[in-house]
Amino acid sequence: MNFIDVNSVVKQYDGHLALDHVDLHVPQGAIYGLLGPNGAGKTSLIRIINRITRADSGTVLLNGREMVQDDIANIGYLPEERGLYKKIKVADEIVYLARLKGMPKPLAVSEMEKWLERFDLTEWRNRKVEELSKGMQQKVQFITTVIHRPQLLIFDEPFSGFDPVNAEQLKREIIQLRDEGSTILFSTHNMASVEEICEQITLINHSRVVLEGKVADIKQQHKKNLFVVNVAGEENVVSKEGLFEVVPNDEVNGTLIKLANGATLHDAIAHLNEHHTLIGIAEKMPSMNEIFIETVQGNA
Amino acid sequence: MTVVGKKSFIIMTILIPFLLILLLFVPIMMKYINDKTDSSEMRIAVVDKSHNYGGAFKDNEKYRFELMSGDSMDKTYDIYKKASGRVDAIMVIPEDVLERQQVDLFSEKTLDEATMMYLNQCLTDTLSKAKIASFQDPDLADKIAQSQVNAVIKSKKWNENGEEQEQSTTIASIIGMVLAFLTYTFVLSYGAMIMNSVVEEKTNRIVEVIVSSCKPMELMMGKIIGVGLVGLTQFAIWVVLIGIAMGVMGFMGVGGDVSSSPEAMGMNMPETESTMASMMSAFASINWLSLLGNFVIYFIGGYLLYASLFAGFGSAVDQASDSSQFTMPIILIMMVALYAGIGCMSNPNGPMAVWCSIIPFTSPVVMMVRLPFDVPWWQLLLSIVLLFATALLCIWISARIYRTGILLYGKKRSFKEIVTWIR
Repeated sequence: MNFIDVNSVVKQYDGHLALDHVDLHVPQGAIYGLLGPNGAGKTSLIRIINRITRADSGTVLLNGREMVQDDIANIGYLPEERGLYKKIKVADEIVYLARLKGMPKPLAVSEMEKWLERFDLTEWRNRKVEELSKGMQQKVQFITTVIHRPQLLIFDEPFSGFDPVNAEQLKREIIQLRDEGSTILFSTHNMASVEEICEQITLINHSRVVLEGKVADIKQQHKKNLFVVNVAGEENVVSKEGLFEVVPNDEVNGTLIKLANGATLHDAIAHLNEHHTLIGIAEKMPSMNEIFIETVQGNA
Repeated sequence: MTVVGKKSFIIMTILIPFLLILLLFVPIMMKYINDKTDSSEMRIAVVDKSHNYGGAFKDNEKYRFELMSGDSMDKTYDIYKKASGRVDAIMVIPEDVLERQQVDLFSEKTLDEATMMYLNQCLTDTLSKAKIASFQDPDLADKIAQSQVNAVIKSKKWNENGEEQEQSTTIASIIGMVLAFLTYTFVLSYGAMIMNSVVEEKTNRIVEVIVSSCKPMELMMGKIIGVGLVGLTQFAIWVVLIGIAMGVMGFMGVGGDVSSSPEAMGMNMPETESTMASMMSAFASINWLSLLGNFVIYFIGGYLLYASLFAGFGSAVDQASDSSQFTMPIILIMMVALYAGIGCMSNPNGPMAVWCSIIPFTSPVVMMVRLPFDVPWWQLLLSIVLLFATALLCIWISARIYRTGILLYGKKRSFKEIVTWIR
């Protein structure tokens, strides 16, 4: 069952096509990556999903039915450009934004206490937002996004502005929110975080969906028959015509070989064993980063 | 709204009525302080060539006159030099002063207005007495005194029951002007408040969070209505505080001081007591309930109209400093309204006043000037209907600008571009 179904959405801003028949299907309880280079249309799509703007055509279904205005109380949105009222107290800010989402005040206050505790911000609750460090402000913003326990969470570049320690904590919180039943749509161009937590992705480029599916499947589709070979001794592995060739590479620990068309891994291992003492061989899967760059450039 | 919680805002709300009252007293106080502290004497040497009118100038605590015989005198500057440090000025009374009605006053420094007035009064009094005496009619002085007329036109109007009530055109004009000015300042300052709030939310990017929780239209209207209610509350507090302060002052008899202030300030206004009384009855003759009621209606209409424009244009800019491009036209229209209001004061039922009080953009200010002068009900109705219709139209237009504007960043927007957002 998909939680969000975006069907053939088109959005145009004075003469510029921002979204060109975009489809997006996010399963219930998934952490779903919405990828794409700057200006590809990610934010436009997000704004349509949380009803800030309207699509020119196409539909957005939530839980299988057409979205209505009241559904936005069920969405938590962390925009890429963070923003809070600077001159009011942390506690007032959180409670105010929680109540905007329809939370009753006592519940908002008790939930806020829990979250402040979790992020070590309790002693800051009566300070003004502008007195907090940038990292702390980010945490406050995160709390305001998730405090009303929305079924759908939309994070636009959630890790930007976080140091590695805090980013790790944030990642744990996001995974926990997923485990508690939220569906998470995650927009980023930080591919490392995509590999770590996203199960599925959609890649948008030039207003169009260019790649879509499970991360593992996509990697399978994009693998290039590359293997990392480790042999004992000082002798170098050399290319073998019709079987494999050595690819110069500094990144991997060992020798990178590319199987020739029609050659099997079995033949390659036999050949290597014959000439060397083979210690290990492993397939090198493409990183999401490589796939991203390849797809975007090939698409340009 | 974050504005209301600010300490400065609360303090100003409470303080402003007192500041206004203080403003009434400051001139009186200053005059008082000035009189008390300015003990320096003005010494004037009088060279009396007429040998007759030198006594016209009487010494008092401020002025001391020193008579000098005039014949032997050469140049006045030499006398001044000789008497250096002893006198501040030298007055020369010519021989034919009665005919010429003029004396010459020499000094190094420019003399102040009060001195000139005192000298003039002394001379005029003495000369006119001398003239009267020159007719050799013993009763003439009496006759002239009796022929001095100070005509008074007491304006009275009928109320619904045909009872007569005193009214004062001056008071009505002043009240109208005060209300017009209040509307002007309220609308402009609250409009600016809205604009700042819109720009602030846009610059610190919270607007994107907010509009993911409610519709842009709701946000804009919430802002406008919220600030509007703050304004009305503030106004109500002022009315109550001023009422209390006035009551307390009247009770303590301070009111008498206020009424005598024109005299204290050098104006010749006889019978202050009765002026005060007629002022009071003129005050009472004004239908305060309908006046304030209409004020509130026009304030709301004008406020909605301008505040929505401020909100709409505020959403189109990235920084407060860029906003002047759009606020200028709005402020200009308001200024036109204010000047039209001032212009209409002299003829509150003339064609300009009537037109300006019906045109929605000027009516909230101009109608205030006309209100104390009993506006025909059909004009009032037409003006109110037009005002609110225009206000609704402006809200609709601004909502469309706002919806697009708040999420667009980057370049400066032109009026032309904004017009395309309305569609």
